[in-house]
Amino acid sequence: MTSINVRIAGANGDGLESSGALLTKVAARNGLHVFAHRGYQSIIRGGHVWYQIRLSEQKPWSYGDGIDILVALNQDAVDYQKSRLKDNAIVIYDAGKADVDALDPKKYRLVPIPLLDIAMKTSGDAIMRNVVAIGAVMGFMGMDIRELNAVVDSTFSKKGQQVVDSNIKAAAAGYNYEGVKKAYDLKGDGKGRYVLDGNTALAMGAYAGGCKFYAAYPMTPATSIMHWFAAHEAKGALFKQAEDEISAIMMTIGAAHAGARAMCGTSGGGFSLMVEALGFAGMMEAPIVVVDSQRTGPSTGLPSKTEQADLLFAMFASQGEFPRIVMSPRTMEECFKAGADALNLAERYQCPVIILMDQYISEHIESVEDFDLGSVKIDRGKIATAGAGGGRFKRYELAADGISPRSMPGMPGLEFVATSYEHDEYGDLVSDVRSGIDEHVEMRRKMNDKRMRKIDTMLKSETIFVPNVVDDGAGYHLVTFGSTTESATEAMEILKQQGISVGLISFNYLLPLDKEKTKRILSGKKLIDVECNFTAQLAQVIMLNTGIEIKNRILKYDGEAITGEELAQKVKDAIANFK
Amino acid sequence: MVTNEQQPNAQAKQSYASGIKPVWCPGCGDHSVSMALNKALMELGIEKSKVLIVAGIGCSSAMPHQFSTYGVDSLHGRLLPMAVGAKLANGDLTVIGTGGDGDGYGIGGGHLIHMARRNIDITYVVMNNEIYGLTTGQASPTSMMGAKTKSTPFGDIEYPLNPLTLAISAGATYVARGFAGDPMHLAELIKNGISHKGFSIIDVLSPCVSFNTLNTYDWFRQRVYKLDQSHDPTNREGALAKALECEESDYKKMPIGLFYRNEKPTYSEMDMVIKKGALIAQPMPSGEEIRDVIDEYK
Ligand SMILES: Cc1ncc(C[n+]2csc(CCOP(=O)(O)OP(=O)(O)O)c2C)c(N)n1
Ligand code: SF4
Ligand SMILES: [Mg+2]
Repeated sequence: MTSINVRIAGANGDGLESSGALLTKVAARNGLHVFAHRGYQSIIRGGHVWYQIRLSEQKPWSYGDGIDILVALNQDAVDYQKSRLKDNAIVIYDAGKADVDALDPKKYRLVPIPLLDIAMKTSGDAIMRNVVAIGAVMGFMGMDIRELNAVVDSTFSKKGQQVVDSNIKAAAAGYNYEGVKKAYDLKGDGKGRYVLDGNTALAMGAYAGGCKFYAAYPMTPATSIMHWFAAHEAKGALFKQAEDEISAIMMTIGAAHAGARAMCGTSGGGFSLMVEALGFAGMMEAPIVVVDSQRTGPSTGLPSKTEQADLLFAMFASQGEFPRIVMSPRTMEECFKAGADALNLAERYQCPVIILMDQYISEHIESVEDFDLGSVKIDRGKIATAGAGGGRFKRYELAADGISPRSMPGMPGLEFVATSYEHDEYGDLVSDVRSGIDEHVEMRRKMNDKRMRKIDTMLKSETIFVPNVVDDGAGYHLVTFGSTTESATEAMEILKQQGISVGLISFNYLLPLDKEKTKRILSGKKLIDVECNFTAQLAQVIMLNTGIEIKNRILKYDGEAITGEELAQKVKDAIANFK
Repeated sequence: MVTNEQQPNAQAKQSYASGIKPVWCPGCGDHSVSMALNKALMELGIEKSKVLIVAGIGCSSAMPHQFSTYGVDSLHGRLLPMAVGAKLANGDLTVIGTGGDGDGYGIGGGHLIHMARRNIDITYVVMNNEIYGLTTGQASPTSMMGAKTKSTPFGDIEYPLNPLTLAISAGATYVARGFAGDPMHLAELIKNGISHKGFSIIDVLSPCVSFNTLNTYDWFRQRVYKLDQSHDPTNREGALAKALECEESDYKKMPIGLFYRNEKPTYSEMDMVIKKGALIAQPMPSGEEIRDVIDEYK
């Protein structure tokens, strides 16, 4: 693959992200593919941060291993990043701020640029030094500076002409700095692409899918979903910041019950608080969508780092039993699709749907050709028609497929009480006051059966509850869910170039699963499980559903996402020691 | 105990009662609260299908089943956020919250202060029996110092919470207290609470005849008196002073009636989406609108 990895490293508060975003947009407009990821600490100022942008002629599936161009804004940036430099890497550094004595000038191209001085001279603002650096990076990449001007214009015009001008001046100074010359030649295909992260894609997809209500309490890495809804309220979806996550999910249930498509989002800690209400939604059959963007746990864990360790939690959270759907989008396109799909499934089956994201897919940035708006169809499920009640409305009628037509407060003649208690077809309590009376004991069984029948109905009516296979005939197959799927795709490509044939079986939906079909897909293959957690939770789910035990496992739980090269190496080791 | 002449006259207008046999013990204050709420609704004549009664969990939270309107038994302590979601989604609904003191001031206490400062147009009726009734008699946040309950067999050593001062200081715009022994008065307070634009809370002294042997009807009758014309409910400081009277008088005097009322814009009047109309009535985004938001990322 022809690609270049640019890493900007500095301190929190240096504004790496906004300058990095400029570069990704320019590249994407030029028809290059982009994959960007940042490493940061959950403190606001200081602390080491980096932002890596991979620019590529083909679609990359990870942010890339190793650094081709490093922009070092301080000494930490040199010290922490030097081990990742590829041979002949370009190192742009601020001569006054960092020394590069530790770097061998024969191995690397060391480019001192007085970034701070230039920033102060061109704009009087120290933060502009990374825009100067981006200008220089564009010079080394041989990109057209006019493209940057256009992006700066559309990004900053709201902030006024002066901000636009100083950005353009700063970038031009870096671009034209002596010694900065085209060193790499990536050719774009001329297609303009979108650049965005998974949370943005998810929020937009939910909006497109008719989400009218989003409630949340801030928690990294789910917070940017809330920011999207807050910033776009004028587009017609209400955002409500709640006092805690219990309130967020209860508001969501309230809004969904009253007939608005509703979603809430959080990370594991907040999801833990939501658990009681999740079961309530299961019992009263409220169509809600809950996003859990996982971070490294347990407890507060590593707030800005990734993990896939909430899978079993999402599947089993709550006392008692009820149908639910758990999905974990694997690509940006699937993040977009997840919103509308989850809202449809929630309303079609009147049950909670959980979208499992993680810090990596929530926050890394990719270029995307386009989103399939044609695939966004809104299905609101079975809704009772006014007058259907006749006498009293049987909201929880013992329907053969488990799905009883619902009414919403405000619909005349279809009044009922929705309850967290076990109930009969009208919603009247079948509580312990009638304990032991045969007829009510029987009703509890029937009502539970009715709810649980929805699982059969889902499996019969949908084709989504099976994993996808790439390269069915390959010698070995990686098995993934959610965000690790992209890295696995890249590892497969790397291995293919080395003559090693590896296929991929990946799960978008994890609950429910079509056991028979899933078993058929997995059977007779040499499987290597790849997950970001300690206990191989996907392998456990597979074992539970199919009886197939995957003994070969690549598990990562250090907080970092697995990259393509890294995974390719680990796969080779796994093949060499295949059990 | 509710006497016959105190029973609201339910003949004239259509009742909202479901006719389902209540689960409450005979003599429980919640019977009167249920009647008072029915009377208030009847006098207001709100269309049945437009009323949503949201409860928590507790004896008092059995309320929705007494009504033929829409209802929800939600979770213990969580009725307020559930009510918020429903009200924001469909502002045409008259949303009424009903719960207990444990539900609203204990486990759900955190939601109350935010509800108050949000000023969403919901009416919240708390049946305050100063005990956990449904779980057979433990101390609640409003149980009195020294109260002997199953969880405080040697007497409670926590001071009781004052829901009225809490609500007033947190910004509630209609704060009242009623007494289950006077359902006509209570019905009036509830009716005015429903008519009030903004968050209304009505704390109701509603005796638990099975587990609270201290705060009985007689005990309350000796202490309760109605606020009269001399109390100005628009004066916040005066309202706070009146709300403190129970404590200041060492529970010898317990005023009931409207303590505080204030007209402020409601949340829904200020929210840019709801201002345009009920959320549930707003159209799904068009292809162009979706394309517009996506194009921001080019
Ligand atoms: C999360 C949770 N914890 C505990 C309970 C058990 N519980 C049910 S009702 C109740 C207390 C009820 O007291 P109150 O709210 O004052 O209502 P009352 O019965 O006195 O009317 C408790 C502790 C529960 N249902 N849910
Ligand atoms: S236990 Fe107390 S609160 Fe509960 S119904 Fe009986 S009297 Fe009322
Ligand atoms: Mg109580």
